[in-house]
Amino acid sequence: MALIEMKNITKDYHLGETVVRALRGIDLQIDKGEFVAIWGPSGSGKTTLLNLIGAIDEPTTGELAIAGKDVRSLSDNQRSKHRNEMIGFIFQGFNLVPVLSALENVMLPLQIKGASFSEAKSKALSRLEEVGLSELIHNRPAKMSGGQQQRVSIARALVNDPSLVIADEPTANLDSETARMIISIMRELNEKDEITFIFSTHDQRLLDQVKRLVRLEDGKIVNGGAKQ
Amino acid sequence: MMKWMKLAVRNIFRNKRRSLVTLLAIGVGFAAINLFYGYIHNSYRGLRNMAIQAEGLGHLRINRAGWQEKGKLDPEKYMFSKEDTEKIIKLVTEEDGVVLATPQIQVTGIVTNGIVSTVFISQGIVPKDDKTIRGAWSTFRPVKGKDLDDQKKYGVEVAQDLARYLNLTAGKDGVVMAPTLSGQMNALDMQVMGVYDTGSDFSNDKFMRFTFDFAQSLLDTHSAERIVVLLKDWEKTEEMRSILLKKLTAAGIAGEIRTWEELSLSYLKTKSMLDMMFFFLFTIVIVIVVMTTVNTMGMAILERTREIGTLRALGLKRRGVSLLFAMEGALLGFFGSFVGMVLHVCVWAIIRAYPPTYIPPGISMPVALTVDLVPQVLFLLMLCLIFLSLFAAIIPARRAAKQNVVDALGHV
Repeated sequence: MALIEMKNITKDYHLGETVVRALRGIDLQIDKGEFVAIWGPSGSGKTTLLNLIGAIDEPTTGELAIAGKDVRSLSDNQRSKHRNEMIGFIFQGFNLVPVLSALENVMLPLQIKGASFSEAKSKALSRLEEVGLSELIHNRPAKMSGGQQQRVSIARALVNDPSLVIADEPTANLDSETARMIISIMRELNEKDEITFIFSTHDQRLLDQVKRLVRLEDGKIVNGGAKQ
Repeated sequence: MMKWMKLAVRNIFRNKRRSLVTLLAIGVGFAAINLFYGYIHNSYRGLRNMAIQAEGLGHLRINRAGWQEKGKLDPEKYMFSKEDTEKIIKLVTEEDGVVLATPQIQVTGIVTNGIVSTVFISQGIVPKDDKTIRGAWSTFRPVKGKDLDDQKKYGVEVAQDLARYLNLTAGKDGVVMAPTLSGQMNALDMQVMGVYDTGSDFSNDKFMRFTFDFAQSLLDTHSAERIVVLLKDWEKTEEMRSILLKKLTAAGIAGEIRTWEELSLSYLKTKSMLDMMFFFLFTIVIVIVVMTTVNTMGMAILERTREIGTLRALGLKRRGVSLLFAMEGALLGFFGSFVGMVLHVCVWAIIRAYPPTYIPPGISMPVALTVDLVPQVLFLLMLCLIFLSLFAAIIPARRAAKQNVVDALGHV
């Protein structure tokens, strides 16, 4: 069974009286352990597709199942629980909570889940060590570079041992070298823990590192929708 | 819960200037309410003491049933005979909470210095008992001259303005005239023992005090108009009224008992006015606190929209977002109240060290503005402000929780 199964997905946005069709009949299957890049020009629907997979948005029509679960049938609370337990998010702008330290930011998903402080702390420390930030655990985001913040963000996405990590343009705010380092960390974790990574990018330099490329244009998959 | 509390505390101090203004608004409101409450709390005690001690009302006054309505028309019928008076005093003083029960009688008539005459209202009292009723008040407002004395049968005390009109000072003589209970005019020589301040402009130009025997002689009676009862604890007034009424009825004496609150000319009216002022101030402060908190939380939510989106994406439920902001509101109330408590104690200490004075309406001399420190009210108001701030934060917090996650994440 595929981890993600999308059938004939469409997504419309209403801007006043105008309807903008962001996705037009997407069919996509992604298996556990894949390392997938969604790429295409700006406005092609990459972020919208990731939002649907991440269960933070709903398709207008079509079927969407994650780990066999019909996401559309879940209530808001069930969807929150599903996101917390199944999905890790890495954002373009890092989206760390500025009043929390690196360690506290990484502990956050576990604490939302209801884990004890000691359990959350030990798991967060271990994930921060994996991304090479053991020395900076008490630093707040404002005292860290962009690359360091993104590594905290990766540790936060992985701390709950999710099946799936979604990264929306994770390297867009980083220089080339840091971007390569971030992608290589993600790749290592993918291979080591068999975590499925799906990330969007329009940076062609990074595409040679991915296992599977899904190209979107005008809300349609033009290449890579089917498994290779 | 602690982790969310920690996050809420840090968020409060994220925008220091805005939080400081909010905390000051809550703190000043808190201090204003408590200072005013402390003032009226002190005033109530002052007014109570004035009624019970200065006006000499005691805590309870026992009259024969019907005295209030018909006593003026047929006084003798509605007074207590000597035997009844002794019986009532014995019954009343048997009770544990009673300090004393003393007979009194009121006389109205004309007083003259031989040249000028004017009307007077006098209470015929037992000097020793009256001194007990007045307690500390007699030290606060001492008599100029000598106190009334049972041994000095024709000695009287005169209120200060009346004494001034008639040019009477301690040791001077005069004559008092009044109708007896049977309607004959009677006159007795008197000697001024002392001049006193009643504490009120309304009574200082007409009040006098006679010994009980002197008043009975002037009215030509052996009866008593009332029995004044002094209790150990003013809070037992109502309870004691019920007990004494039952005892009087059981003893076959038809009596009516009124409390110092019912008898005092000004206590209830002044209390009602101060209560209304307090309610008015309290309402204004509460509105300010709620509006300030709603505004602060609204701004915080606007600024942290993207963070809310992130927390929701990480799996925090809507209820969790509401709770986080509600907690921040409650903490604003807590810290604001703490600031207010510090402000209140500082102002209270300054007022205590350098009390300003003022002359209240109808009062004959300046009184110090004193503010009580009432810890129970401080903590009660703190709780009240915490809950109010919490509820004020819930409105914007619910709005924040309902935001679409994608819209929130895309907020700039």
